[in-house]
Amino acid sequence: MAHPILLPRQGQSVESCIITEFYVKPGDKVEPDTPLFSYETDKASFEEEAKESGTLLTWFFEEGDEVPVLTNVGVIGEEGESIDEFRPENATALGSGGDSGEAALSDDIDASVSGDRSADADINVASGEANPEKGAKNVSSIKTAPAASAGAKIAAGTPSAVGEGQSTAASGATSQNEQGKLFISPRARKLAEAKHINIYRVQGTGPNGRIIEADIRKAMEHEPSMVDNATGAQIQAAEKAVVQQQAYQYPDPSNAIYDNDSKNVPLTNMRKRIANAMHVSLQNSAQLTHHLGADARRILELRQQVKAKQNEGYEHNITLNDMVCTAVIRTLKKHQNANAHFLGDSTRVFQKVHLGFAVDTDRGLMVPTVKNADDLAIEGLSSQMKSLANACKKGSVNPDLLAPTEASFTVSNLGNYGVEMFTPVINLPQVAILGVNTILPRPKDLGNGTYGFVPTMGLSLTYDHRALDGGEATRFLKAIATEIENLEINI
Amino acid sequence: MIGIESFPNPHSPLTNKKKHTTMPKAQFIDPKEKRKAKELKFKPIPVNKYNKSIDDERKNFSDDDLKRIYHDMAVIREFENMLNLIKTTGEYNGVEYNHPGPAHLSIGQEAAAVGMAYELDTDDYIFGSHRSHGEILAKGLSAIHKLSDKALKEVMTEFFDGVIYDIVKKNFKGSTKELAVKFLLYGTLAEIFARETGFNKGLGGSMHAFFTPFGVYPNNAIVGGSGDIAVGAALYKKVNSKPGLVVANIGDASMACGPVWEGISFATMDQFTTLWEGDQKGGLPLIINIMNNQYGMGGQTCGETMGYEIAARIGAGVNKDQMHAERVDGYNPLAVIDAYRRKKKVLEKKQGPVLLDVLTYRYSGHSPSDASSYRSKEEVEAWQQQDSIVTFGEALTKAGIATKKELDKMVEGIKDNTFEVFKLAINDEISPRMDPGKDDVIGGMMLSNGSLDTVEEDRKPDVNHPLEENPRVKQISKKERYAFDKDGKPFSKMKQYQLRDGLFEAIADRFYKDPTLIAYGEENRDWGGAFAVYRGLTEALPYHRLFNSPIAEGAIVGTAIGYAMCGGRVVPEIMYCDFLGRSGDEVFNQIPKWQAMSGNMIKMPVVLRVSVGSKYGAQHSQDWTSLVAHIPGLKVCFPATPYDAKGLMNAALQGTDPVVFFESQRIYDIGEQFVEKGVPAEYYEIPFGEPDVKVEGEDVTILSVGATLYRVMDAIKTLRDDYNMSAEVIDARSLVPFNYDKVIESVKKTGRIVITGDATARGSFLNDLASNVTNLAFDYLDAPPVVVGSRNWITPAHELENEFFPQPHWIVDAIHQRIVPLEGHVSREEFGDSEQLRRNKMGV
Repeated sequence: MAHPILLPRQGQSVESCIITEFYVKPGDKVEPDTPLFSYETDKASFEEEAKESGTLLTWFFEEGDEVPVLTNVGVIGEEGESIDEFRPENATALGSGGDSGEAALSDDIDASVSGDRSADADINVASGEANPEKGAKNVSSIKTAPAASAGAKIAAGTPSAVGEGQSTAASGATSQNEQGKLFISPRARKLAEAKHINIYRVQGTGPNGRIIEADIRKAMEHEPSMVDNATGAQIQAAEKAVVQQQAYQYPDPSNAIYDNDSKNVPLTNMRKRIANAMHVSLQNSAQLTHHLGADARRILELRQQVKAKQNEGYEHNITLNDMVCTAVIRTLKKHQNANAHFLGDSTRVFQKVHLGFAVDTDRGLMVPTVKNADDLAIEGLSSQMKSLANACKKGSVNPDLLAPTEASFTVSNLGNYGVEMFTPVINLPQVAILGVNTILPRPKDLGNGTYGFVPTMGLSLTYDHRALDGGEATRFLKAIATEIENLEINI
Repeated sequence: MIGIESFPNPHSPLTNKKKHTTMPKAQFIDPKEKRKAKELKFKPIPVNKYNKSIDDERKNFSDDDLKRIYHDMAVIREFENMLNLIKTTGEYNGVEYNHPGPAHLSIGQEAAAVGMAYELDTDDYIFGSHRSHGEILAKGLSAIHKLSDKALKEVMTEFFDGVIYDIVKKNFKGSTKELAVKFLLYGTLAEIFARETGFNKGLGGSMHAFFTPFGVYPNNAIVGGSGDIAVGAALYKKVNSKPGLVVANIGDASMACGPVWEGISFATMDQFTTLWEGDQKGGLPLIINIMNNQYGMGGQTCGETMGYEIAARIGAGVNKDQMHAERVDGYNPLAVIDAYRRKKKVLEKKQGPVLLDVLTYRYSGHSPSDASSYRSKEEVEAWQQQDSIVTFGEALTKAGIATKKELDKMVEGIKDNTFEVFKLAINDEISPRMDPGKDDVIGGMMLSNGSLDTVEEDRKPDVNHPLEENPRVKQISKKERYAFDKDGKPFSKMKQYQLRDGLFEAIADRFYKDPTLIAYGEENRDWGGAFAVYRGLTEALPYHRLFNSPIAEGAIVGTAIGYAMCGGRVVPEIMYCDFLGRSGDEVFNQIPKWQAMSGNMIKMPVVLRVSVGSKYGAQHSQDWTSLVAHIPGLKVCFPATPYDAKGLMNAALQGTDPVVFFESQRIYDIGEQFVEKGVPAEYYEIPFGEPDVKVEGEDVTILSVGATLYRVMDAIKTLRDDYNMSAEVIDARSLVPFNYDKVIESVKKTGRIVITGDATARGSFLNDLASNVTNLAFDYLDAPPVVVGSRNWITPAHELENEFFPQPHWIVDAIHQRIVPLEGHVSREEFGDSEQLRRNKMGV
């Protein structure tokens, strides 16, 4: 019995993913848990494993394709079984079971695009769902093609192949022509700016794939509008900057002796997203960093206690980082202004502490959030942080927890790597981030003119001066240090 | 054998038994008479018959008169010489000056000009050509001689608030008449030199200079241009019972031109003597004065480019009176004066018009760049040997009327005077040029934007009965002035107050207000206009206010220009706007330009009615609004509803600017579908330039020009019912001027606009509207403005017309393909990019 391989839906808002790599090819035998392929959303990447044994019969798509969630990506079964009944309408690979690979893209697109329209073959017509209620302003009745139904092949910037003389859209592509430029009417652009809609993610249904007002209004219905500060526009601008940055020219890379001097590696979605976020954060805030040392003798002592207990069967590996995070959480409860988001015309102050923390993975930096961390004891905090970190590394973390709006404060620990001081970048819209450095021996006055070397942990607090002044930030930082120096935990 | 079925007689018995109306029906065409054999006989045409000597003429002229004739010729000669020297040597009397503008000189023709002007006074108007400096000066001098000092002072001090007077009277010692001569020379020369202190503020220049207080009306740079304009001026004098006659000074080569022939046809219509009544019966007070210098630029008229041998022959081909034509020796001023004395009597007996062929010759080339390669030096010298001034001077001295010393002294004085005037005219401080950039001076003169209930007050309009008694007025009073009853059902066509009724009411109202208003065109009287706009006016008006013109569109418009220039309001009609080509020069080169070229001295209250056809094929169904909208100086409108038609016609007839008033034959019978209270019976105006939101909507704006409005109304039904799209419909109503405010407001709301009309799309005014909307509302647009016009083809036959003119579904298709996709819509027309490119590549 052949079974289809479904592309899972990861996260509430995800509508499609990009298939990054196939690990098996048609004809290969698979078992449960055999990795089949990897895919990514714009926030994270994942791996899909086989759920049964059998032979991989076919893939319906190619590496790099953007595929709507819950679409059949391939089929596992017995050799010779039919696969046609599983083929999705928007398949880009012929799915013949061999490694045909070379799908005739344009034909397929035309076939797929015009095939499910009842209209005249000459004119592309937007298909769509039922008419939303008439009360909505303006274009309530104008249909736009939702992403799900038109699955033409999209690589970043590939044109949608519409036939000659067809001037209408409904190509399902992002509204980009060959040069990667966006087609959007002035009116739509204005509206998108006002409503913080990211135009780079909107499907255009106007002529030549132009994004028109109706498309922005549709996007407004689906996307929760961004926090009402400049963030949306900033991200838009930043993403645009990234797209536009391909202005550097390189000489012909091949040379006789060294062969290829360099090569272009396209950015993954995750990389793009991180690049945006970092750039936007530095461009659009007034951040600076204070460095302060905390006497680490107390936490080192506690760490010894944990290790001793572990020898007795204690299961929780409470690390120095867990202790620092606990100190931070407690201090945040007393310094609410640091537990906040800056929104341009207001700040959002959180009653609860949602702690984000940086996790380094193969695919890049991820910052998951422990929600309501102030409700947790240190053991709970420790195990949650561990499992989240593992999930990130494996690629199975809940993407909703990765949004920067989820955390009220972030901690980034580079102590393990020997970093002595650094300037972490704030996760906007949060107002601050604490960088944790390695422990170094520093001279300290032990009293009565005696100096000794004391293990000192460097703390680097980057804060947004738009929200916090230097005095306040310094007091906050000092309070963290004090908490660390006097930490009491229940283990 | 073919039987003779009784053919239906299209003419039912006369219902209108009013005594005063004599219709052409009364001129019964009797086949028995017509088919009789006979011969046409011609009378001999005199050629150079004048043979009196100076001694003979001394009983008709005083010595002073004769010396004055010499003087006037010498003034012209020196004036033209001065210009010639400036053009050829760059200086005059050692003073350098560069005149880059035109200077078509008439050296050698002085006797013809002076002779022409001698008998004329300020009530007599002359119109000229590009070579009319001599005529301007001659007429001016003649007027100066005839006017009293008081009258002269008044003219000079009032003209442009005395600007020129102040310049010439500075340091002047002499008589008023001498000052007036200086005034005349200066005003003409400053005008030639494009100075703001010239007679027309420098905007007319050499070829368009004029000075109406002396009866000098505009010259015309277009050859033959005055040929029909002068006829209009004569018509004005006749119809409004004004004293004086009109002289058209045109050249021999202009006798080949359409406007001249059409002017002659118009001027010699039988109806003036057979149908017009009472005081109005009789010919036009017009002399067509051919200044026959025997060349048309370089073409030799007699012997090369024309066939008449002697131009006076033309008169014989025109009417029974042979236009009283004569050839006169224009080299002898007394011969010309003699001719004018005799022909004036003919005109006083209302037997005009008259054709005079005045023989003359020019030594100067056509223009300064003329190398005279078309004639021999010997020929020029032969004529110079018989120079009229020299000859006349010799005759004077021989007869003892003046000594040579006297004449030489006179000429010295003239040269000094001319030099003085020259120095004044080239002085940049005294005679500055206008600064077009400042205050948009020229822009401000293109249109006069005046508002006059009547062009001439203190005179009652000639009408046959009070307006309330008019049968059409009575008929209209029973009509429904809004198309729908209280339940929303349309009244029958016969009961509806129609668009043609709106036009009628406005025009009739003005006929009863403004005594100068006249209307004419083809089939205007009796028939009531081909589209029944004038039905009822025949009963109301005497012939001289409403009559049929010949099928001569050039003259229809050209005469209207002359009529308006003299101070009358006129509604000429061109039956189909397709015939505008026939009056091309008049519409594109004449009517729009005179207000500005005259420094706004002349107003042009002409409402040129044209109609856009349908169902009549390629040459009778075009919308040419774009052609006239392109020409600066014209107001253009195209109303589509009875309310708009009446309001705009009232505004047009109240104004002082030329209006090309478009009407659509599709909708003469349409009722008022938009203004619920109905078309008001009382007077109201719709200002020019204001488009009208006919239907309010939210999702797309449709701006339409003309009758296309009703197809747009069908399109919006489809948009609403099938696609839930609410359209805002704006009716342009006017094209020039055009106020974009309402359109921009609408686009800000909807973000989308379709612009449509029946003009063929390429080069149409629709594109002008689109371009301006794009510039003014770019940031509010969701798509570029889409133009839906007619195909760039000939208009096909009626049965195929719907492939040519915009149809309701074209608008829906265009929205779907170029603005926003409509769910489920299947287009029938191609509005895509590649089709647009293909059509443009093919030029269709």
